[in-house]
Amino acid sequence: MRPVRFSLARVGLIAGNTVREAARQRLFNLFVVLALMLVLGARWFRDFSFGAPELRFLADCGFGAMAFFGSALTITATAQLFFSEIENRTALTLLAKPVWRAEFIVGKLVGVAGLTLLFCGLLTVLLAAVLWTREGALMQEFPDNFAQGRVVSYAMVAGAGAMQWLKLLILGALVLLVASFAQTQTFAIVTGFLVLVICHLQHLALAAYERSGSLFGMTASAAIAWMFPNFQVFAWADSLAAADFPGWGQVARVVSYGLGYVGLGTALAVFCFRKREI
Amino acid sequence: MATPGATEAPAKVPAVEIRGLVKDFAIGLRGVKLRAVDHLDLTVEAGQVFGLLGPNGSGKSTTVKLLLGLLEPTAGQCRVFGVSSLRVEARREVGYLPEAPYFYRHLSGRELVHFYARLCGESGTGLGKRIADVIALVGLAEAADRRVGTYSKGMLQRIGLAQALVHDPRLLILDEPTAGVDPVGSAEMAALIGRLKAQGKTILITSHLLGQIEDICDRVAILDRGRLMVEGAVADLVNRAGRQSLVVEEMPPGELAALRAWMEARGRKLLAVEPAGRRLEQVFLEQVGRGKGEGETRP
Ligand SMILES: Nc1ncnc2c1ncn2[C@@H]1O[C@H](COP(=O)(O)OP(=O)(O)OP(=O)(O)O)[C@@H](O)[C@H]1O
Ligand SMILES: [Mg+2]
Repeated sequence: MRPVRFSLARVGLIAGNTVREAARQRLFNLFVVLALMLVLGARWFRDFSFGAPELRFLADCGFGAMAFFGSALTITATAQLFFSEIENRTALTLLAKPVWRAEFIVGKLVGVAGLTLLFCGLLTVLLAAVLWTREGALMQEFPDNFAQGRVVSYAMVAGAGAMQWLKLLILGALVLLVASFAQTQTFAIVTGFLVLVICHLQHLALAAYERSGSLFGMTASAAIAWMFPNFQVFAWADSLAAADFPGWGQVARVVSYGLGYVGLGTALAVFCFRKREI
Repeated sequence: MATPGATEAPAKVPAVEIRGLVKDFAIGLRGVKLRAVDHLDLTVEAGQVFGLLGPNGSGKSTTVKLLLGLLEPTAGQCRVFGVSSLRVEARREVGYLPEAPYFYRHLSGRELVHFYARLCGESGTGLGKRIADVIALVGLAEAADRRVGTYSKGMLQRIGLAQALVHDPRLLILDEPTAGVDPVGSAEMAALIGRLKAQGKTILITSHLLGQIEDICDRVAILDRGRLMVEGAVADLVNRAGRQSLVVEEMPPGELAALRAWMEARGRKLLAVEPAGRRLEQVFLEQVGRGKGEGETRP
């Protein structure tokens, strides 16, 4: 008997179908439009300018929109694309083919990753364009702010966009993990938002517990720190000057931290989904 | 059609082998169990057309899902061509049409069949033609480029069949393939099953439309509440052998009595005299332009 091996080709097919479904549903388009409005709005709905710090404000707005709408997109799309297969019983036909359940889960994650990559890429390029033109205009207006030429490093902008994407990838894996055992889409979405909040705030909880000094506090903080990734480590938008680049070592640490959670979340999702009754 | 099929399979491995199969579903919160399949034993030899019959909720679909590894048995085991259903390999030679199928609404019929074909590892230059062929085979050529979301129930069944056939599997599992299909479609389906059988395929079909099953199956099993009630060759079960029915024009009572006497004189017995009404199905098929013949597809 010829064994059926885990196949990246099949993962790619499932992922491609997932992206196609999202694209044809136009949910994705809605989020892009909303985020675009915010990025562009940050610039065009203001009628005053205040030199170089304005660029910071624009960047904050842009990455804020990317984080906010990106998270909402990731949570809803992941849950929706997963449960549409279960509820419409298309998973039945799919898994009756020589397809590993792990391929199904990984395919869904790769599909969501593709979707968020498109989203983050689009918005990053757009934001960079807005920053570039605005920077040009401000250089004329406030030449002494720009004595050394342009202040925004566009490599940093791209890096910050990539970090946003990595963060959404983790979020997607965690939502998929919840979906793999959840009975309803609503449960997965609500839990997804809860996870998002915890991941953003876990450093606060951590600090509070560490200060408490009790054994229970220490254990609890360690547990939370281990279970949930700290999304703060992906925030680069504070500074976009090349001088503030945190260094490749730090980047590698953050990326492996993020990918570790993606791998862990996916592995657990595969485990939970392994015996699920379809 | 009731002869045991000529098998091409080299070894005598049964296409489907179910041994002591039990499936309990947990229903309710306090661990109440519902036994959907109860110690089922079944064997489907390669090349047979096998009907799995039973009333609603008798466990037909559950059995099929267990066979496909979509559910895990509580006890017992299933094998497909000798491979345990729990293994992915068991599904390589199987085409499955789920009951009341529903497919990706966002794809066209052609894209859908293409997607499933690729998942089964089909590729290459001949694939486009093969896809067009199966779509034509199920009579959907005109609607192939429409979105599946716009398909009617019967069309969904047809595209489902195309999807099940596209990788040319040795075993076809059809869960109520004619539910929601019009009589013309059902007759076409029956003809198609006949052709697939002639190609040496094994077909497991579940239904509660007994009329159709009777015509196309070699063997049937009847389930009730998850238990196997009876299993055997259709001809044996309905005791068809040794009987004939003659359809004649209406006879006056006198002639009928004479006929009876004529037969009795030869040691034969006239078992029944009844009006030979056409079945409504036959009227329908005639009106929509097709006799109950085999083969050709709708114009
Ligand atoms: N996922 C499930 N959870 C709980 N009970 C289930 C589940 N699936 C099926 N059942 C129960 O198992 C029994 C058998 O169901 P099954 O779908 O196999 O019947 P069936 O013979 O296919 O009926 P039908 O002719 O209506 O399709 C039913 O009582 C059904 O309620
Ligand atoms: Mg059923």
